[in-house]
Amino acid sequence: MQQFEVDAGGRTRKISVAKTGDRFVVTVDGQTRTMDVMRSGAHTLSLVDDSGRGYEVVIAADPGSPSRFTVRVDGAPVTVTVNGRRRWGRRDDHAATASGPQRVIAPMPGKIVRVLVKTGDAVHARQPLVVVEAMKMENELRAARDGTVAEVHAREGQSVDAGALLVLVQ
Amino acid sequence: MRKILIANRGEIAVRVIRACREMGISPVAIYSECDRAALHVRLADEAYAIGPSAPRESYLRIDRVVDVAKKCGADAVHPGYGFLAENEDFAAAVRDAGITFIGPTPDAIETMGSKTAARVAAKRAGVPVVPGTEDPLGAEVGDAEIARIADGIGYPLLVKAVAGGGGKGMRTVSDPAELANAVRAARSEASSAFGDAAVYLERKLTRPRHIEVQLLGDQHGTVIPFVERECSIQRRHQKVVEETPSIAVSAKLRADITSAAAAVAKAVGYTNAGTIECLVDEDGKFYFLEMNTRLQVEHPITEMVTGIDLVRWQIRIARGERLTIDPARALTPGGHAIECRIYAEDPDNNFLPSPGRIVALRAPSGPGIRDDSGATEGLDVPIFYDPMISKLVAWAEDRPSAIARMRRALGEYQVAGIRTTLPFFKWLLAQAEFANGQFHTTYLDEILRSRNGQPFVEPSAEMEEIAAIAAILHQSLTNKSDFPVRLNSQIKQSDSGWRAAARTEGLR
Repeated sequence: MQQFEVDAGGRTRKISVAKTGDRFVVTVDGQTRTMDVMRSGAHTLSLVDDSGRGYEVVIAADPGSPSRFTVRVDGAPVTVTVNGRRRWGRRDDHAATASGPQRVIAPMPGKIVRVLVKTGDAVHARQPLVVVEAMKMENELRAARDGTVAEVHAREGQSVDAGALLVLVQ
Repeated sequence: MRKILIANRGEIAVRVIRACREMGISPVAIYSECDRAALHVRLADEAYAIGPSAPRESYLRIDRVVDVAKKCGADAVHPGYGFLAENEDFAAAVRDAGITFIGPTPDAIETMGSKTAARVAAKRAGVPVVPGTEDPLGAEVGDAEIARIADGIGYPLLVKAVAGGGGKGMRTVSDPAELANAVRAARSEASSAFGDAAVYLERKLTRPRHIEVQLLGDQHGTVIPFVERECSIQRRHQKVVEETPSIAVSAKLRADITSAAAAVAKAVGYTNAGTIECLVDEDGKFYFLEMNTRLQVEHPITEMVTGIDLVRWQIRIARGERLTIDPARALTPGGHAIECRIYAEDPDNNFLPSPGRIVALRAPSGPGIRDDSGATEGLDVPIFYDPMISKLVAWAEDRPSAIARMRRALGEYQVAGIRTTLPFFKWLLAQAEFANGQFHTTYLDEILRSRNGQPFVEPSAEMEEIAAIAAILHQSLTNKSDFPVRLNSQIKQSDSGWRAAARTEGLR
């Protein structure tokens, strides 16, 4: 039997898995169910539980961290971290944690179209900070939560590489 | 015509290749550095590299594209949409090289490419235009003069780029005090996007619908209009869902708007495929907006309800053939069709582009479903181009059945490795306003603003639990730990194995 701590959709679950014959006995937070699991592709699994309910699951590992996955269950994406030390929310990919500074980075190479804040500005959650043009579209990068702009590294007209720090919000 | 060079990439290059194959014509592809493995390259008979990934250095290089067309001995060039499709210099360069351009003449592209010239052409043909300025307002026209013109048109109004498109160089002004700033912003955007700072003013209609008319014109003076397309579902002036016919168009309006569209095309001697875009106000009055002198992204829905292959006809018209389509057939929709533009964007993160590798892909199929796509498993969605990966089209006997079919197909669509707008479409097609057809061009922006970033699909606790279990099982297999997940080939003839096999058979 193996035990895991798994964060899915922002909630941590304790899960143990044991193989009996060709089935899996899965215990999630004390509740046990038996699963029949088939691999149908390099990234797809078919799960059927003991009540006959079936699920089609597509799993892709995050290129940046091998223990973090985007798992689609019947099409709905869920961010999952296995034995993760960090907690990941589904919606605040740019926030990293609920406290501490927020590093707003360029998600891809592009051109800075507009810088909407300056150092010292108070910003609220979801307020647009910088507009980056990439893939023929103008994209707003927004604050993950309320805070104060500590650093601005973006300049209008500037070309930036993926991962470049644009704004730091404290 | 034995060989056609396709001056494009992605799904539209694949669409044209398919038409070529069906007509016994040899398709030739071009590709930039990052597109070497793309589907259009693999499906063509010949493929030629034309430069680095940035569009300016490859797909927009007129000299290189024409050079390849000459060297490979192409009889014709199909421009697709976007890139050089509405560039009169390209059409002229192809013609001057002695090669057929599959599209209108350079003159028609130039006339209809200028928004103000197109408005004049429409008015001359007796078609109403949205009230606004006749002439382009060049950089020399001062703020005071523009303010005076604006007062004559009335507020709210739109400042639009003369050379514009796709919402670029466009500003809404409700307060005269904002006018000067809006003009300045529109000019700077227009100048950097199109190299032309000229703008014009147009009254902003309240809650209009975007209704457009597909046209085909041959080289013998015949122009045939098609049943209207409804494209009011837009996000930031970009269409995201299109359907035909429109729930808001009566038989009378259809007759009026399609004959007006044909009149505009005839007035400018238009040939090949084109589209007249109109706005329809709340009283059912229509106004000419602009003409697109090319094949539209959303052409498949027209093909689905009329059974007429528009790309095939583009090629036939370019060969000099006469249009032999029954005009009544083109105007009579057989059923209803809807298209969703599936983008590599994260709808739960303000539709931020989500480029990267597609690690798993299964497109829907079955009755009434068409998936026009350039994406395949293992392929990267590059950062350099429009992030549309597929156009999913559903056809059915009537609108409610087409919506149900589209929702079914969206549920079957699997894409992993990148985020897509699939969850957004599942949400949108479940909205009462969509089902009732109660929408207009700003409906989607308004409702998205009011949702304030709320996720489109919120997985249930049960789904999150399944996701957690699946991730562990998947990781265990990848790490080759002590309980590998069974492979299909290792199924034992035990009772449960048989049951599981039956289950996967059923899923196929």
